[in-house]
Amino acid sequence: MSNVVVLDNGGGLLKAGLGGDLDPSVIIPNCLYRPLSAKKWLHPSPISISTADAATEAPSDLDLTSASVRRPIDRGYLINPDLQRDIWSHLFTSLLHVNPSNSSLLLTEPLFTLPSIQHATDEIVFEDFNFASLYVSDSPSLVHFYEASRRPTSLLSRAQCSLVVDCGFSFTHAAPVFQNFTLNYAVKRIDLGGKALTNYLKELVSYRALNVMDETFIMDDVKEKLCFVSLNVPRDLQIARKPGKENLFRCTYVLPDGISYTRGFVKNPDDAKRYLSLTDEVSSPSLGVKKDVIELDVSEKTEDRKRIDLTKNEFDLTNERFLVPEMIFHPADLGMNQAGLAECIVRAVNSCHPHLHPVLYESIVLTGGSTLFHNFAERLEKELRPLVPDECQVKITTQEDPILGAWRGGSLLASSPSFEAMCVTKAEYEELGSVRCRKRFLH
Amino acid sequence: MDDDATNPFRRMSSRTRKVAPKMVAALASSDNRTQAALARLEALENDNAGVEVVENIDDEDASLDDDDQAYIQKRQSKGTKRKTRQAKALEAKKAPKTFMELLHEANLESLPSHVPSYSKAAVGPPSSTSRRHFCTVCGFAASYTCIRCGIRFCSSRCQNIHNDTRCLKFVA
Ligand SMILES: [Zn+2]
Ligand SMILES: [Zn+2]
Repeated sequence: MSNVVVLDNGGGLLKAGLGGDLDPSVIIPNCLYRPLSAKKWLHPSPISISTADAATEAPSDLDLTSASVRRPIDRGYLINPDLQRDIWSHLFTSLLHVNPSNSSLLLTEPLFTLPSIQHATDEIVFEDFNFASLYVSDSPSLVHFYEASRRPTSLLSRAQCSLVVDCGFSFTHAAPVFQNFTLNYAVKRIDLGGKALTNYLKELVSYRALNVMDETFIMDDVKEKLCFVSLNVPRDLQIARKPGKENLFRCTYVLPDGISYTRGFVKNPDDAKRYLSLTDEVSSPSLGVKKDVIELDVSEKTEDRKRIDLTKNEFDLTNERFLVPEMIFHPADLGMNQAGLAECIVRAVNSCHPHLHPVLYESIVLTGGSTLFHNFAERLEKELRPLVPDECQVKITTQEDPILGAWRGGSLLASSPSFEAMCVTKAEYEELGSVRCRKRFLH
Repeated sequence: MDDDATNPFRRMSSRTRKVAPKMVAALASSDNRTQAALARLEALENDNAGVEVVENIDDEDASLDDDDQAYIQKRQSKGTKRKTRQAKALEAKKAPKTFMELLHEANLESLPSHVPSYSKAAVGPPSSTSRRHFCTVCGFAASYTCIRCGIRFCSSRCQNIHNDTRCLKFVA
């Protein structure tokens, strides 16, 4: 039997390894970058698996301050096949050490990939790399497959049905899965993911403290370490205005100085965790009432102004910490004419047969790196409950490792006895062409 | 659109060239604020901050004239280089299409209405129209709107910061 290379080709992170393994052997940003110190575009170094939760990179001496980045994927979809080929070539040859011509490839592709992009992908797989065979899958069905085999007695597994909420780098999908296939007619998408969140955080910090518009890698780190989901936005906005110790959100991030440290860090990690002491109990006046209070609060504004110190290589965060993930729940706050996550889920469920509704609401699975924010599931449940019929239960499961969920499902699938028959071989590709081969991967 | 192609000898900094025609269009447009809002959303999907920066992909082949050299030195601290117009034009030809261009080419509108597609999967507008407004400068509840660009702010202090730093930035 030949190897199966399992490749979850995300817009942010690429997860790759061999089918049958527990975890991918390589996790690497799906991009090239050019640090200020480098003349050429470089391949990022792999992220160590043990720290994949925090998505931190393995220690490296490279200072990524103001590094430029080139990504093969735009808005979730492959737009630069040449660049993707470079990255895959490095991956297969130098990192995975596999020989594609005697391997199969299980590749994830986003839902609704355009035919022209599918065609370009098939060309790379069969013509540039000469893979022996290919199976293309999507993240929600693989995540479902993984959860179903991990929890065989759950409703999800018994009913062969779940609602996978995939909040990744490029976008967010609410995807009903039934009998291991994503019901694509019912999928709903919000055009917001981790990339937009990082860019929004850059924007906020740049106008309030110092210019970090060029700091993609640093601000990713800030977002991952310091942002969380608020369970009560009006209350937390109040707390974020308080001076001194009463402000449970204020914390400081130190930028790399290029001399003593090449990576940024949280100044007082214990201060940054103080928000965890907040409970969901306290109620507060509505946002509408509060407006007047804020406008009269002049003393706090001077306080606010003081923390902006351009000579220092550090900045404070307060309300940015929860206003950034807030976008996923209320894109309209940003001026985006799209419903938030709770409504997105309801619309996806309502597009399915009514018999499935109770099961779907009871089998919601969160996956994707942007679901890692503290309190994500709690907030979602809070917003979802009032929108769901009383007779339905709402049950939200967080994946053990939301970044690796799709890959692990792919690894399981690749090691199942039926896998080989599901693939399209190189010979079939050459005989039938891309379009007809692709039909094989549909139901 | 960009009139560069028809006027290859005009010499201006890259930023001015790109910004100017759009700025003119924006100011002439009756719906400046909508445009600013759309541009701001668009910027959230950028890989690198400076939308006007063209990345120097093959470092060696860029031929640089004096103006560009001077500009490079100015920009060096930010880690980006400038190319000449010719080099840029060449690069533009082999530059990959954006997803929006590929989407347009795919002509999804021609599919029968029952076929699921990228366009049909979009979640659509929120059911409640109550939009909360946060000050774009400080993040707190904002009751005022900038008449020029439509962005929100909460106080005269934040209005001043807005005017000094970010007003009309996203129109450009
Ligand atoms: Zn303000
Ligand atoms: Zn303005």
